[in-house]
Order: sequence, then C-alpha cells, then structure tokens
Amino acid sequence: MSRPPRIAALLVAAGATGILLLTGCAPAASPSSPAAGPTPGGTLTYASGDAEPTCLDPHVGGNYPQALISGQFLESLVSRDAEGEIVPWLASEWSEAEDGLSWTFTLRDDVTFTDGTPFDAEAVKASIEHVQDPATGSSTGYLAMGKVDNVEVVDAGTVRFDLSAPDSALLESLSQPWVAMESPAGMTRGIEQNCESPIGTGPFSVSEWVKQDSITLVRNDDYVSPPADAAHEGPAYLEKIVWRFLPDSASRYAALQAGQVDVIDNAQPDALVAAQTEDGITSLDAPRPGSVNRIEFNSGKAPFDSEEVREAFIRSAGVDDGIESLFFGTAERSYSPLASVESLAYSDPAPFAFNLDEANSLLDGAGWSERDSEGYRVKNGTRLTVEFPVSTNQSIPAEQSLFEQIQATTKEAGFEVKLRLLDLGSWYAALGANEYDLVSAPYTKVGPDVLRILYHSDGITPAPSGYFANHAQVSIPELDDLLTRAGETSDATERAALYADAQAVVLEGFYILPLYDQQNHYLLRDRVAGLRALPTVSTPTFYDAWLAD
Amino acid sequence: MTELEAQAASAVIRRGRASGFRRIGVAEGLSAAFLAFLLLAALAPDLISPLDPLGIDPANAFEPPSFGQVLGTDESGRSIFSRVVHGAGTSLLIGVAASTIGLGLGTILGVLAGSGGRIVDFGVSRFLEVLFALPGLLLALFLIVIVGPGALTTTLAVGLSTAPGYARIIRSQLITVRGSAYVEAATVLGLGRMRILARHVLPNTLAPLFALGTLGVGQAIVWASALSYLGLGAVPPSPEWGAMLAAGRTYLSTAWWMSVFPGLFIVLTAICATVLGRAAGNRTRRR
Repeated sequence: MSRPPRIAALLVAAGATGILLLTGCAPAASPSSPAAGPTPGGTLTYASGDAEPTCLDPHVGGNYPQALISGQFLESLVSRDAEGEIVPWLASEWSEAEDGLSWTFTLRDDVTFTDGTPFDAEAVKASIEHVQDPATGSSTGYLAMGKVDNVEVVDAGTVRFDLSAPDSALLESLSQPWVAMESPAGMTRGIEQNCESPIGTGPFSVSEWVKQDSITLVRNDDYVSPPADAAHEGPAYLEKIVWRFLPDSASRYAALQAGQVDVIDNAQPDALVAAQTEDGITSLDAPRPGSVNRIEFNSGKAPFDSEEVREAFIRSAGVDDGIESLFFGTAERSYSPLASVESLAYSDPAPFAFNLDEANSLLDGAGWSERDSEGYRVKNGTRLTVEFPVSTNQSIPAEQSLFEQIQATTKEAGFEVKLRLLDLGSWYAALGANEYDLVSAPYTKVGPDVLRILYHSDGITPAPSGYFANHAQVSIPELDDLLTRAGETSDATERAALYADAQAVVLEGFYILPLYDQQNHYLLRDRVAGLRALPTVSTPTFYDAWLAD
Repeated sequence: MTELEAQAASAVIRRGRASGFRRIGVAEGLSAAFLAFLLLAALAPDLISPLDPLGIDPANAFEPPSFGQVLGTDESGRSIFSRVVHGAGTSLLIGVAASTIGLGLGTILGVLAGSGGRIVDFGVSRFLEVLFALPGLLLALFLIVIVGPGALTTTLAVGLSTAPGYARIIRSQLITVRGSAYVEAATVLGLGRMRILARHVLPNTLAPLFALGTLGVGQAIVWASALSYLGLGAVPPSPEWGAMLAAGRTYLSTAWWMSVFPGLFIVLTAICATVLGRAAGNRTRRR
C-alpha cells in the first residue's frame, strides 16, 4: 500500500526538478556554473546561423553578423551594463560640455592593439574618421556618428568629440560594435586587407578565415581592457574559438545535440522547445535592443502612400494566432516600434486590432471598390498587388511562415501579397531600387535614438553604403521635429516624453505593423560556463567564458 | 521485288499490332493507377480534396496525421493532403512540360545531326558535347541565375538541360535505322530520299520517344522539386512538392509528416513514371 504514495512523491519530485530546470532556462546572464572555478584553456566551437560576413570590419556596412563576431576582437569606448547604465571600457571617464556641443573622453593608457600599436587619442580619431569616410561604405556606424563634426586629439590620453548639435544618444551610439576602435596601422592597410583581419584591442584576434566554413580566433595573451562589468581581469580563459557557419537551423541544432559544437546562435522556436527537455543544453535569451521586428509599409509610393490602405492591411492581417503557433510561446507580440528592453518603448495595441469589416470599408473608401475574378481588389484596371521581398538571412523560417499567413489573411480583404524570398544581396538591391511595398528589416541600435534613424525623413537619403534605414519612407515635419528635439535634450523626462510622442505618430499613422522583439536565442552545452550577452547589442562575449571539462 | 517492298513498308505496322496484345504486369498496373490518380488530382483537385490548399488555420498547426487530416497539417495549419493533391497539377505540369521541351529540342538536334550530312553532324555533336560537359542540374541552376527563379523558369531550365541527352539518343537511333535492312531495301527499290526519311526512318527513330518521354517526366519532376527545394522554383505559398519538402525540413524532428508525404509523392511519381516508361520501352524493342 505504500507504493502509490512513493510514486506520487517521485512524480512531485520529478515535476519540481522539471520546474527548476525550466527556470534554469529562463533569461539569465550565464548558465548554471559547475562547482569548480574557471579553468583556462581549450577550444570552443561556435556555430552561427547568421549570414557569413563579407567583411569582418563592422565599420564597413555594419550589420548584426559582423557585430556577433567582431565583439570578440574589437572593443568600444564605453559599454552598457545589465541595468542599462553606460560603463567605462576603453574610455575610463567622460564629460559633456555645458552647451552639449562637445564631449571629452579620458582614455585608458595601458592598452595596445594586437599589432602592437598603442591605443591612444590618435587611434580614436582615426577610427571615427574611418567610419565617417564615404570610401569605407559604413551605414550603421555612419548614421550613429551623424552629429560628430570633428574628433580632436587633446593629448595622447584625452580626446574631444565636437558635435553639430547636442546628442543625447552619443554614449549609447559609441557603445556599439559598429563604431569600435581599430588599429590605425591596421586601417591604413586598405579596406580589403582590413576586412580579412581587423585589428583591435579585444580578448581574441582573427587568426584564419576559411570562407564558407569557419573563422578561427586565438586568445590575446596581453589583454588588459575588459569592460567595467566583466567578471574577471586579464586574458580570456579560452585559448581558441572556432566560429563556424551553419546556416541550416536543423543541422545547427543537431550539431549541438551531438556535441560537435558548444554554442549556437539563432536557435529556432522548435529547437528551443526541444532543448527544454534535452539534458546538457541550456538557453540564453537576449532580445536585441533598438527596433522590434515589424513590417514596414513603403509610404513613398502607391498603394501604401494612402493611410486608409495601410490601415486596411493592418486590420486584415491575422498575426496573433500565427505568432502563438509558429513560435511555440517563445515570442511575445509587440505593439511598439521599440524593443521591450528599451525603457522608453511606447506601446499601443489599439491601431492593430484585427477587423476585416473595417479593412473592407477602408478599401472601398480608398477607391479599391471592385474585385477581380480571383477576389483581389482592383482600381482603374490595376490590381491591389504589393511586393514583399523577404531576406532569408534576416527572416527565420517561422517568420517566413508568418508572412505566408499574413498573405493568406489579407487576401480576404483583397490584397495580393507577392512574397519573394531573396538572399541578402538581392534583398538589399530590391530595397535600393525602391522595389518593395512591404519589408521587414529589423534594426539594432542601443537606445531610443534608433527612432531618428528609422523615421526621420533624413533616413530616406541613403548612407554611403547605399543603405537607407527609413524603409517606411516616413516624411512628417512634426515627427522630424520631435525626433530632433529628443536627440538634443539633456533632460531625461523631456526626452522620454518626446520619444513617446514620436512613437505614437508612427503607430497611429499605420507606418508599421509591429510583430515581436528581435529574437536572439542562444543554446549552449553545459560544459560552457560564464557566457553572457553583452548588454549593448546582445551579442555573446566569450571573454569570461570557460570550458568545464 | 514486290515482296521486299511490302516487307519494308509493314515494319512499322507490325510493331504496333504486336504490342497491343501484351499482358499488363502488376507493377505496371499499379503505376498506371497511381499516375491516373495524379492526373485526376491535376485536372480536378477539388474532387479529391475540397479543402483550400492555401487556407490557413494557425490554431490547428502541426497536427499529426489523423482521420480528419489524413496526412496531418503544416506550420500554418494547412492540410498536407490537400496541398499534395492541389500541388500535383503544378508538379506534373512542370514534369510534362519540361520533358516535352527537352524531347522536342532533343529531336530537332538529333534529327539534324543524324540526317543533315557530315558537317552538320560534326557541328551539332560537338555542341552537344559542350553541353554534356556541364552536369544537367548545374546547367539548370545557371539558367535560373540568369532569368530568375519561378515555376516557368524551372520548367524551361529542366527542359533545356535534358535536351542534349535526348538529342544523342535520337541521333544514334536515327543512324542505326538508316543502316537497317529495310531502309537499304527501300533505297534499292529507288524510293526518294525524303520519302525514305518520312516513311521509314523517322517513324522508326521516333518510336522509342514515348518511352523516353515517360521516363523523362519522372526525372524532370525530381529535378524541378530539387530546384524548388533549394528555393529556386515555385514561390510560396504555392503547394509545389519540392517547396513543401523544403518547408518541412525545419520541423523534421517534430513534424515529420510535413516533409515525408510530399517526398513520398515525388518518389512514387518518379518510380511509376519509370516503371511505365520501361514497360513501353521494352515493348518497342520486342517488336
């Protein structure tokens, strides 16, 4: 008679362990560390599902795949800690002038680049000028440094940034990998060579790059400059990192299961669910800062130059059920232009309520009152067709399926959505040629200043790389004004209010359809300890990481 | 003299009569039945599965095969059975059209080489050898890179890349027929060159085409599916089998039915087409 209660007790115990394991999988700075302390040495294998960069220097272009890897060998002037505070990194302190038009940074004096060049004010000046040089073809770093007029060397250990207007986001901008500090000697080698092996001050350096396969990073034994929130000092524990490119998500997860790799990025929803019950694998959830994943409406041309048509599309797009079923509860619906990790995010679900009847009457009102034999709306003989180029690098399979569902639901209202799955190059080309009506182009940036980049009318003009960030082609003078003032004020309350107003304008004008935070899940084997995502743009940093076997 | 002429003239007729009465094997019967089912699916898909192949139902996504959904549902809750049935038309059309293009072009090139004299034969044969240097699928990929992806491009690409193979077979068949006893007989009888070509050479050369074509349909479907699988063929949400196979790959460990069933249909179609093609080929040879 004593058996059933024992089984029940066992079940309870098992359930409790399960709950403990699940909470162990919840967002955490590092996975459960084994009892022993950090042991130096060993090779860690990382498998990235992001596109293989064409250039390892994040000054050139400036995308997330570059940030992922360059964070291991390049460092910035400042960083951001888990609480969102800016902390010292290569700069030990800084101050803003009274008028907000200049910032002075005091630099660490004990740091050298891995090529032996000392890190000093000249290096800072050269790095920022490299980002701003049109020949470099920077977009992300270039836009982030938009207000920097001149970088002045005060002395070897002091540098002054002169601005064209006060910039409340300067420190946030400088914390990003796209404006990292690089060796002046390295940059003078020319873009081609610098792309192969950029030279920084980081805990690792690039040793070999086998294209279409992997990049090998080796430890920098002279390393002294971790950010203020790092867990230890001195060189990294890991001797070597093999950074592999495994674009297929199923094989990436299989490689992790088999122990062929230690860490994978871009873990897909199905893998995350599977990993919850898999022994020896933990997850690290690090949503990216900046914008959410959203569909942007090209308001610069027909048919989405009409607010009614934009609203009709949003009202007829079924999104919630799809997010629930495709992401297995690993992604939460967003109603804001900004990521949930941004404290100034303003959220409003009202403009996004599903209502097919309203969508139909909006389209009738906008002159799209007839339907052709296939049920699509027609106006003056033209079908209501919208082009939707989708980057297979940026949109994961679950998101591609979500777009197919949106295609199916908006068809009820009479939209013909043409989904085109493209590689990154063709996708950029389609955007550059203005051959899109809808687009999903997540943008990662530290802080709410991303709103200026995405929705200020200046963002319609392409950066030197040819990339422009205002894909919705929003051009509203009042919005420009709100964003400019928010970027210049040093009053935190006023800044928050201005950004809230700006976000309301974007949401209520139906320029975007917010979906969810930019998903950024890592899965790692238990032998990896001390791994955390840098709280700037949520890229993993292997400085504190070590192998437990 | 008259006997010889009669013998030559009836060569074609006899072949046709003999094959008509042959027994049909089990494998051939099953293959024919499956292809007939596909043909029905292609012509009247709603008759077999009235469910909308594009109709989404996120609440019922990833349903395993059951009585309600015989082949399960995909990531958007669409019926796999309905998609496979509605996709049959696209897949078959691509297969048939591609082999028609391949055969047509192959016939023109083959006949040109086999009957156009030494210089033409030399030119066409060398051209075919150049095309042979490139694997067929690579040639198809090359065409897609130039023209851009899509169902039409895939059809053209597969068709063009299979043409050299057909051209070779037809050229050698034509040369064999030209050297045969009945053509010699006709020549001896003093028939004109064009008349011999039209009445004796061409019919006997092109007779194996039906068999070749049926074999080719299977191959073309596999190739077209391969291209769609790589994201170069049919565009979403089209229920093309290769594209469905690719979509299911992501969920292979959790929802095997998403890729297994479309894959099964590709394999079965290719096998059935091959079985029928071989049977037809055997009959042509046995005459």
